[in-house]
Formats: sequence, structure tokens, C-alpha cells
Amino acid sequence: MASLPDYAELHCLSNFSFLRGASHPDELIEQAVQQGYRALALTDECSLAGIVRAHQAAKGYGLKLIAGSEMTTIDGLKLVFLAANREGYGNLSALITLARRRAEKGSYTLQRHDLNAISPNGAVPDCLVLWVPGENASASDGRWLAERFPGRLWIAVELHAGPDDAAKLAALQALGEACGLPLVAAGDVHMHAKSRRPVQDVLTALRLKTTVFAAGYALFPNAERHLRTRLRLSRLYPPALLAETLKIAEQCAFSLDELRYEYPEEIVPLGHTPTSWLRHETERGLLRRYPDALPADVRQRIEHELKLVAELQYEAYFLTVYDIVCFARSVGILCQGRGSAANSTVCFALGITEVNPERSGMLFERFISKERGEPPDIDVDFEHERRDEVIAYIYGKYGRERTALAAALITYRTKGALRDAGRALGFDMARIDALTASLAWWDKREQLPERFAEQGLDPASPRVEKWLWIAGQLRGFPRHLTQHVGGFVMSRGPLARLVPVENTAMPERTVIQWDKDDLDAVGLMKVDVLALGMLSALRRMLAMVSERCGRPLELHQIPEGDAATYDMLCAADSMGVFQVESRAQMAMLPRLRPRKYYDLVVEVALVRPGPIQGDMVHPYLKRRQRKERVEAISPAVDAVLARTCGVPIFQEQVMQLAIVAADFTPGEADQLRRAMAAWKRKGGLEPFEQKLLAGMAKNQLPESFARRIIAQIQGFGEYGFPESHAASFALLVYASAWLKRHHPQVFLCGLLNSQPMGFYSPSMLVQDAQRHGVMVLPPDVTASDWDSRIDENEAVRLGMREISGLSQAVAERIVAARWQRPFAGVSDLAARSALQRRDLDLLASADALRSLTGHRRQAAWAATAAVVQGDLFAAQPIEEVAVALAAPNEGENLVADYRSLGLSLRRHPLTLLRRQLAERRFVTATALREAGQRALIRAAGIVVGRQRPGTATGIVFVTLEDETGLVNVVVHPQLVEKQRRELLGSSLMGVYGQLQKEGEVVHLVAKRLVDLSAWLGRLETVSRDFH
Amino acid sequence: MLWLALHFPLLPLEALPLWHSPSAIVARGKVLACDAVAAGAGVQTGQKLSTALGLLPGLVACERDAGREAQALSALACWAGRFTPTVSLRAPDALLLDIGGCLRLFGNAQAIVDAALAGCDEQNYSVRWAAAPTPLAAYWLARAGMAAICADDAASRAALDQLPCSMVGWSAEVLARLEAFGLRRLGDLGRLPSSGLRRRLGNTSVDDWLRARGEMPDPQLAFVFPERFAERLELPSRVEHAEALAFAGQRLLSALSGWLRARQRLVRNCSLQLTHDDGSHSELPLRLGEPSADEGRLLRLLREHLARLQLAAPVEAIGLRADEVVACPGDSGALFSTAPAGEGRTACLERLRARLGEAAVRSVGLQADHRPECATHLHDPQALSASTPLPAELAGRRPLWLLPEPEPLVERSGVPRWHGPLQLMSRPERLESGWWDEGETEASGDLRRDYFVACNPRGQWAWIFRDAQGWYLHGLFA
Repeated sequence: MASLPDYAELHCLSNFSFLRGASHPDELIEQAVQQGYRALALTDECSLAGIVRAHQAAKGYGLKLIAGSEMTTIDGLKLVFLAANREGYGNLSALITLARRRAEKGSYTLQRHDLNAISPNGAVPDCLVLWVPGENASASDGRWLAERFPGRLWIAVELHAGPDDAAKLAALQALGEACGLPLVAAGDVHMHAKSRRPVQDVLTALRLKTTVFAAGYALFPNAERHLRTRLRLSRLYPPALLAETLKIAEQCAFSLDELRYEYPEEIVPLGHTPTSWLRHETERGLLRRYPDALPADVRQRIEHELKLVAELQYEAYFLTVYDIVCFARSVGILCQGRGSAANSTVCFALGITEVNPERSGMLFERFISKERGEPPDIDVDFEHERRDEVIAYIYGKYGRERTALAAALITYRTKGALRDAGRALGFDMARIDALTASLAWWDKREQLPERFAEQGLDPASPRVEKWLWIAGQLRGFPRHLTQHVGGFVMSRGPLARLVPVENTAMPERTVIQWDKDDLDAVGLMKVDVLALGMLSALRRMLAMVSERCGRPLELHQIPEGDAATYDMLCAADSMGVFQVESRAQMAMLPRLRPRKYYDLVVEVALVRPGPIQGDMVHPYLKRRQRKERVEAISPAVDAVLARTCGVPIFQEQVMQLAIVAADFTPGEADQLRRAMAAWKRKGGLEPFEQKLLAGMAKNQLPESFARRIIAQIQGFGEYGFPESHAASFALLVYASAWLKRHHPQVFLCGLLNSQPMGFYSPSMLVQDAQRHGVMVLPPDVTASDWDSRIDENEAVRLGMREISGLSQAVAERIVAARWQRPFAGVSDLAARSALQRRDLDLLASADALRSLTGHRRQAAWAATAAVVQGDLFAAQPIEEVAVALAAPNEGENLVADYRSLGLSLRRHPLTLLRRQLAERRFVTATALREAGQRALIRAAGIVVGRQRPGTATGIVFVTLEDETGLVNVVVHPQLVEKQRRELLGSSLMGVYGQLQKEGEVVHLVAKRLVDLSAWLGRLETVSRDFH
Repeated sequence: MLWLALHFPLLPLEALPLWHSPSAIVARGKVLACDAVAAGAGVQTGQKLSTALGLLPGLVACERDAGREAQALSALACWAGRFTPTVSLRAPDALLLDIGGCLRLFGNAQAIVDAALAGCDEQNYSVRWAAAPTPLAAYWLARAGMAAICADDAASRAALDQLPCSMVGWSAEVLARLEAFGLRRLGDLGRLPSSGLRRRLGNTSVDDWLRARGEMPDPQLAFVFPERFAERLELPSRVEHAEALAFAGQRLLSALSGWLRARQRLVRNCSLQLTHDDGSHSELPLRLGEPSADEGRLLRLLREHLARLQLAAPVEAIGLRADEVVACPGDSGALFSTAPAGEGRTACLERLRARLGEAAVRSVGLQADHRPECATHLHDPQALSASTPLPAELAGRRPLWLLPEPEPLVERSGVPRWHGPLQLMSRPERLESGWWDEGETEASGDLRRDYFVACNPRGQWAWIFRDAQGWYLHGLFA
């Protein structure tokens, strides 16, 4: 077919034009290659979000890619901009930013005057422009545009076998003559292949919030908006129009590879280069870390690291992070770095992390290497309540023009795809919800047809089949851009000339149109500014300890290697401790028996879905407990695995293994890491598997070892935890555990005052503290502050923050008024603290007025009369007959406590029921621990947690709470099926079961469940379901 | 005064005349009502749908349809007209019947209650009831499931005193406050100074309380019986056998009979309208030998007709219209004697239809669909149809006359023929649309065609297309 005309598609949307385009960028690229196109322009609507993906794909296929964007002015001029060079790209990116920033998240506004000439060369210089005239296009519009884009404006002729293409072509030719504009063929492509027509129709219906049945003429009449064969194009278009596409494509010479990222300048003071400044600050830090003498090996490491950093030109990155950390320090925000580059001696010297590389015996190269070429990675965690201050600092320092958050691309998951496909096909929303809800919590995707049948839908009926098919197609489609949890991008020049910036749902935040992977691909660096609740709690605890001891205590001053702290952890007494407080972690602690810092690093990484599914836990424990010998494989392999008893536990170990055992290059190892993260979703580990096997065979490693490693890598999947993160987390584990062990009151206050965070409710934290001998007092307007605090008698006085619904401002007014003089009564309290009726109601129902009025009912009644009326009769005190309301009994008080505070300091509800329970032979949690292995026994308690981990097939873990502690119940799938109602519906559950003991780990394996909720009366308990 | 309150706790569900058990009606992601089987598995009102499904994975969930409930409630009000002409709606799910004036007619209150409960049962509605001297007391006690008659104030107030405050549907704020004071039952309110209560609970709830006790007047808005009877029921699932329609039909007949009694009329002709799932309609006329208001008789007639009826297509909805209504002998008539106006508009159509038959007269409407055979539809000239105008670029490019079915054309040496070779006068217009109903019965399905305007030697202009099968004639231009 030598006679086929050449063609370049210049107007093509991908699914990054949300709810318009029906193909992924890489599908478009592949199809364009198949059709033999000379070039493809990706012109998503007011967006460059898909361009990086397209660029990567086009590079792979060697297709010429043109960066562009389609935009429509508010008065309906539809234009396609194509970047001719780097300048044009910058101008286009800036134009998109302008249109996006003035509109709400997800939309844009382009006005005509935005196209006024900004240079002698017209508007949006260095961009070529296609005008897509609408039905009533006027020549005056054409002339207006031609003035603004002199010599670089074309009329796009888009023929789609419509009702009268000939007339359309003739009209456009006449328009071209009238305005003196050349014509060019274009496709207005919305999908790579015809077969996506149903998906495109569904997207259209969703965009218009209707169904495909009702969408009518809003749907395209045919599937011509795909990448058509050149044969078909040759039949539809005059040859000259097709040839014109090539002329335009030739003028577009920009490639994304030309983008160069430049660090902000202000991180380096005048007279310094980044290299010299990093050296300067590192030396300063070393003096602080090693005031007496710098050990020779540290000096050696520092020199080595600085050399490596200089070679890779990463100084500016380290300095940027350093600058942010310095700011946080200066205003007393606790922070800590983690990640591949964070665990370097340089970062330790700079104070970015407290992990002393000496102490962990980890090598810098393990985290950063010359060959790998991946950008350095430092995540910095800040106190969750004060991260906004850090963000404000960053915006303030670099300005809005030069900094923005990275985007997080939200794509369709199965559930959303089913919902939206169902919506567009007109299914009943409740039915869709029914299907997707059961899918989310209880079932797997293979069982979808069964679920359909249960909802009275025939999975084989044509419409249901279409639903499933379309949902399958939609999965993975980008849906919208949102903000990354904390990845900031900063640049030297205006950021908008590098990548478009748009608004988020939060008015004070802006995001760029690229996500983390895009940034990696283009070589842009981001700094992760993350929020961590435990840091807020730790800062509070450290401040309280400092105050009580009369000298400041900082994180790094907490004594290392404290035996009492490790004893406590070994006994799984870890509620509230960072990272190791979950039930799974609690079960692991007595088995792993941590005795030193590095044990905690392993502990943090071990109890993760990755190592569990990769079957690494048991081999590791056996070897650690010396029940199994660590077999020698080869010196190189052993060196990698020695610190974890020959079992790979960390992500870095897998990569290193690939290098030393199977001759991967560091670059390939990095690809393996990425593939591991994605294989659950996409598959694609097979080539690596082959290569690993071949490589290990070549190195004469036993095949059984090779197979085991591969199985472990697969199990690891995306859940592999990096040692570089675990090392930083382990520090916080130790610090929080030390505080819990030595300052239990402080620990409780710190956690309560930093809620919401962690795994356990305030109620459970309070009970745990009480079991450790801490005296806890209820909130009271005559004694409580907003925060919980330790009073003169070493008791914890709960703060008014525990009162549900009460605002901090109200509490602070109360505290201020109390400082002046004690309250004479409720009226005095209300008047001097300017309380509203609602505030008094909340205080009364929390029983926080008891010191002033007696019991809570009396307080509630009195509260109304006490409010300042604020009207004409304000001065007239209301004469009221005194009433006497019956005092609530203990049970009623409990109900009211839980309702208002979510906890109660009175007797545990089960104490009140204990006699009844004992009659039915239910024992306490304490008695349970003392019973023998395999004992048949009954326990009952308030359900405080139900958990169905993805790693334990079908098993549900239930946590029961009684007056003596917690009971861990294991419910096997058969019982789950049989007793769903009891399992899910009980707030007070009785369990008939068999005891399973392993060391100090006790589980009750349920044989039968009974719902005892009725015994509680109306006692409301809050179960935290972790899905 | 004696008020009978009928509360239909499962109305959201039971407004669907047929449903698969276990079923639940869902509003904003939460369970609003569920049937007994679902309740037995632990499904409750207010529960999240996901929780309900966790308890009962086979639960069938349907979105709430408030319009359907309102329709069902007004049909029930029509039906209740047989007991008393004074019926009030207590939206969304209760009726208040003033039966004080009808006691003598039925003998006593219990007889009315028995008849009402039997009627609810026949129509398969779950009901809670109570009778009391004030409408609000009757309503509250019915909601609490009291199922008793409080003939006088004393009995009624005693019963009210025992009622939990949470039963009466006050706002969450009021309930929270009552809870805070430790007031559990309505009777507890009486022990506190009413001015103090008013200050704390607000006027609405204290007034309610006084109205229920009969210490404050409580006029009710009476249900206005419709001038003409036409009720409709959407079926939750398609019904394929005529006999299965009897159940839904019975509800409509119950409503009709109540309406007739309330208005003191008898029906001579009425008709059952069936809406089929393909959008077509059919009618089943029910003619009575002599005018009647007797539900049993109407039902027998319906059953006979249904037994003989062959359904052309599954039915989605049924309706009942009273076509000819006559006054009852002894009808006082004056109240309702004004005749409905505005019939002249359709008089011409009526006459045409009378001459040619109902089905022979149809209006043509436009329908937004790219597929030519779906772009128009025929409908009942009386029914309003929302027509979407044709897009501008299609105007004038569609033939006036479309063949009922495309007609295959002979092709000779690549040229289609229709009374001689056809010359293609236009470039192809490609239509590819309609995948969504592909494979469904009576649907056009996915079309993929290239259309041409063509002209034959006789000078006739035709609209033809080519698809994978070959050439077809689809329309003629005038």
C-alpha cells in the first residue's frame, strides 16, 4: 500500500480529558504506530496530565509525540494548541495554569482577552494553533484569531461521515478563503479504536449525569473519532489537507526530554555553591552531634557520602529538605525524616533524622547509588496538627508561582467502575450499592456473577453482560486529580512553565498536573511533607516530662537500651505505642522478643501483609529463636541477608539480592521494585522471574533457594516495607514505649490530647492506663482544661476536649473565667464564660457541671435557666419553681457517659453484668489468660473491634473488652457464614470457644457466638471496624 | 369524636405490590424498611446498606421512591372512604379516619376496625392501629402498636402516659433533652411545670402533647377525594402471566371501591391499563351489567378477564380508571355536581378514535436517538410526550417517510437497485449507535450503517443504507 498518504493526528484526547476520552495515552500511541502515523499530538482538554505517560510510550515505540491541549473559550471558540518548542510548551503550560487557576477544581475558564498578544509574535508564542470552527463560525472570528496567531493558525477540518461532509468541507473552505487561513485535516480523536464506542458513550452519559438511553443526540452518532486507518482518511479528506498535517508536525520540535529541573536558588546563601553550603552545614552539624571528637570512621563516611552527593548533584535536594526541617525546629514542630537518603550520616549531621547510621550499621549505598539513577527520597514526617504551618512556610518562602503539591491521580477501582457503568446503564442505585458494598467488605472479584444473581439480576442477560464489560474497561481509567498527601515540588523559575498548576478542593492549596510517577519519569524532585499523629503526641509528652523534671528532654535524649522498656514490649504491653500496637503486632512481640533497636526495625517491617504473604515470618522467627539453622548460600547473598537471619524482610534486600545473586544491574533492580509494586494490579513479574532464575542458576545458587526468593518477592508485592523507613519508625516506637513505661500519666495525656490517631479509642487508652495504676478523673468545669493534664495529686484530669461537640473556644473561655475566681454556680459560669444554651447542654450531659449543680439531670434542667437570654428581658431573672428530678442510676449514668464522652470512669458495664454472666459461666479476660491450652471456655465482652485482614483468608478477628482487659477472638470462615448476624450485630458478644496459647499470646477460637446486646439495655458502644 | 389511626410501617416496601424476599428499601445508603425475613436476619431501619448486606448477603435492595409511597397512601385513602368520608393523610405512612360519625352505620367501633384490618390484610399491607378521641393520640398509639380502642379521654390519657417519648417522632434535639432530664414516658411530662417545659423543649412538642391529650384543638386537613378515579401502580419486576396481575389489580379495585363509597357513586365501566416493558400499552375493559361499588364483584370480574388474557409482552405497570360512574340512588349529589371542564380540546380526537378504534389513532413524537428507527415513536394522542427537537445539522436530512422495516435491495455490479439502478447523491453518513439494547427482545440493538441519499431513474429520492449484510431501502423523501 505504497500509495497511502502520510498523516499526523493533531487533535487527540486521551482519558485524561476526564469523562471524554475513552483510551489511555499508551493505547493511543500504540494504535498510532500500528496505523503508520508519522506523529501524534496528545491534546487533552486544558491539561497536560497525560503527556508524561504518552511521552514514555512514544519513546518506546519511536513515535513522534507533540504536546498540546484543546481549550474552548467561554464564548465557544475551540482551539487546539501545539507546542512548537520548549518556549511554546512553557507558554501553553502557563496558559492552562491561567485558565485552571481562576476556576474551581476540575474546570477551567478561558476568556477571549487571554488571547491578546503578549509579544510581537502574538498570543501564546511558539505554539501552533488549530481552530475547530463550530456550526455557526464566522469569518470575523477567524480574522480575530489570525491576528493573534500570525502565520501559525489553521482551520481544522474534522470529517466524521456526518449527515453531509461535502457541505461541511465546502463551508470550511469558504471560511478559510474568507479569513485567509490554511486548512488542515484533524480527527477530534476520542478513542484509539472503534471498539471503545460503548465506553465513550458511557463517559458522555456520565458527564451529562444521565444514562445512555436518555443521552440521545449528545452521544456521537458513530465511532469515527478513533485513530482511523490512512486508507479511510484518504477517502474522506482531500490529499492536500492530509499533507498539511505533516507540515505542522514538522514544525513541532519539542520533546519532554528537554525539560530541565532547576532547584530554587534561595537555599544557598550568597557566596556559596550548593556543594560548599552543604559541606558547611554538615560540618556545623557534626560539631553538634560530636562535640568532643569526630570518630575517624564517621569522618570517612561523611567524606564518602558528600562525594557521592556531589557527583549526583543532589546537594540542592538535601539543602531544600534541611531548610524545611530547620524551619520546623525553629518553631518547635517535631519532625523526622525517613526514606532512602534520610538514613545517611549527612542527614544525621544535618538533623534531618535522629537515626544514627552508626547505630543501625546500615550503609548509605544501600539507599542511594550512582548507577541506579533514581532520585533521592526523603520523606519528612511532621506533627499532624501543625503540618499546615510547614506548608504555609513553603508557600511563603518560594511563593505560589514556584511551588505546588504533586498530584495524586485517582483512577477507577472495581467498585467505582461498577457504580458508574451501572449508573450510565440505568440500573437502580440501591442495587448497585448492594453489589458494590458486598464486594468491598466481604468478597472477591471472581464472585461477581454470584452477587449479581443474589440481587435478582441475571449475569447472563445482555444488559448485565454489558455492565460488567464496561466496568472492566473503565477500571484503571483516570477519574480526577487530587493532591498528593504531601509531595511538594519547588522550582527556580515559575513552576507553571514546567507543568500546569491547578486548584484543589482546598482553597489554599494548588497541585501540578503530574503525579509521583510522572515526576520520576521527567526527573523532577519532590519533597514529601507528611503528617504523623505520633509526633504530635510525642512533642506533647516530651514537653510534659520536661516540665515535670525541670529540664528539657528531647527525642534523642531518651536513654537508649532501657531494659524495662524492652521487657514491657516483650510482654506485648504496647497499647498506644507507635506502630506496634495493633493486634497482629501485639501477637508478634512476645515471639520476636525485641531487645535492641534493630529488633524494633525488624518488628516494624515484619508484621506487614508483604512478609506475611511472602511467608517470611515463620522462617525468620524460627531462625531467630535458634530453632532452625541459618543456611549459608553464598558469601555475597549471606552478606545481604545476615542481619535478618537469612530471610529477606526489607524491600532493599530484595533489590540487593537481585544484584548480587542474579546479576541485575542496579537500574534493573529498581525496575523490579516498581514491578513488585504493580504486579498485583497489572502482573508483569514473569520476565523478572525468568531473569532471576537464570541469573541465580548462573551463579550456581540452589534452585530451591531461587524458587523461595521468587515466591517471597511475589508475596511481598506492593507491601514490601523499606528498611530506610522502618529505621526511622523504630526510633519512634522506642521513644513512645519508653514514655509509656516510665511516664504512664504523661503518655495517656499525650495520646488523648493528640486524638484522633492510632488504633485505639480514648476509652481503651484510659482503661489501659487505669490498669497500669494511673488515676483518671472525669471532666469538670471547675477543674478541667481543654487538654487532659496531670493534677497536683499525680492523677490525670480529663480535658473538656473529650466532651463530644464542645468547641475549644468555649473550653478556653471557661478556663479563663475560672482563673479570675471560682464559679459561684451555673448562672455565674454561663455569664462569665459567655456560654450558649447548647454549650451548657453539652457540659450537663457530660456530667461536667456536677460540682456546681449535682447530678447531670439536675444540671441539664438548670442549664436552660442559666443562659443569658440576650433580649429585652435579659435583665429580668426568670422566676422558676425548683424541680427535683430523679437521680440517674449507675446504668443510666454509664449510657450518658458513653454517649457524651465515649468513655466512662465509673465501673465497667460488665461489672454490672458480671453476676448474670457468671451464671452462664462466662469468665473474665484475666481468668481466660490463666486457663490452660485448648481449654473449652466462654468469654463475653463489648465488641471494640472487628477486623478481617486481607492476609487471613476469610478469618475475622474480634476484640472483646471486659472489666479486666481484652479478649482476642478468632472466628473461622465457616462460623462467619453461619453466624453473620451475631458477628456483625452484637455490641455485647458472648463466645463459646477453645483457648489457643502460644507463649503469652492467647486467642479464643470461637465455636459459637451469642448476641448478648440486649443485656446492655441502651448502652451504646463504639466498635471500630478496620477494613 | 373517635379517630382511628392506621399506620403502615412497611409502606415503602409494600407500596411495591410484589417483591422478592428478603427485600429492603434503601434511602441515601441506609435501610428505610425491610420485610420480615430480612428483619429476622438482623436488618434494621437506619442501618447502612453495607451492614445489612454483611448480615444478609442475599438481600435485594431497592431505592426508595417517595412518589410511589404517596400514590399508595392516597390509594389507601380512597379505599378508606368506604368507612368514613373524613379521612386525613398523615404523610408519609399513616391515615387518620374520623369514625365518630359512622359508628351507627357499622354497629360499633370494633366492627369498623375489624373491617379496616381485614381490608389491609387483603391488600397485603402491614398495619398498626389504635383508636382514640384525638387524632394525634390515635396516631401516636398506632405507631407504638397499641392495637386497642381508647373510647374516652381518660383511657386515652392513661395510654399516652405509658408511651415512651422516643415513639412520638419529635426532633432529635427534643429527645436528647428529654433524655437528659431523665424523662422517659409521656406521663413524666405531666409531673413538671409546663412553663418550664415549654422554655426547654420549645412550643411544638408541648403543643403536640396538649393536642394529643385533647387539651388543645387539633383540626385536620381532610383528604380530598379525586374528581375522577385513575390510579396507577408500578410493578417492581416484570409480570409475565396475567393471573399474577390479580394481586396488584385487587389493590386498585379496593381503592376504587372506597372512592365510590366516599363519593356515593357506582361504577358501570372501568378499564385496566397495562404498560408493557417494551413501552406499548394495552387495555382491559371491565363492564358491569349493572352499576356497583362492590369490591368483591369487581374482583371476580377482573379474575375472569385475567384468566382469559394472553399477555403480548411482560407488564411493568398497571392502572385503573373509572370510565363511567353513575350517582348512587339517594345520592345527595349537590356537593360534587360541578362537572369537570376542558374536554373540548380533545373532542375531535375522541371522535376519530371512536370511529376508527382506539389503537388506530396515534401521534408521532420525536425521540433523541441516532438510530433512525428509534428517532420517532408513536404514542397515545392524549398522553403528553416530551419531544426533543432534531439537531440542526440533521434537519432536512431525514426522509419524511420511514419504512416500518428496512427493505433489502438487489445489488448488481456493486450498484443497489430500486426500480432501476440507484445513483448515490451524497457522501456516506455513518451511523453506529445503540449497543446498549443489543441482544434484548424487541430492541433495535447496535446498528452500524452507512446511509446515502440516492435517486432512481424514475426520479424517486430514497434513503438507503449499506451494512455488513448489504443494501437496504429505509425511507423515501417527499
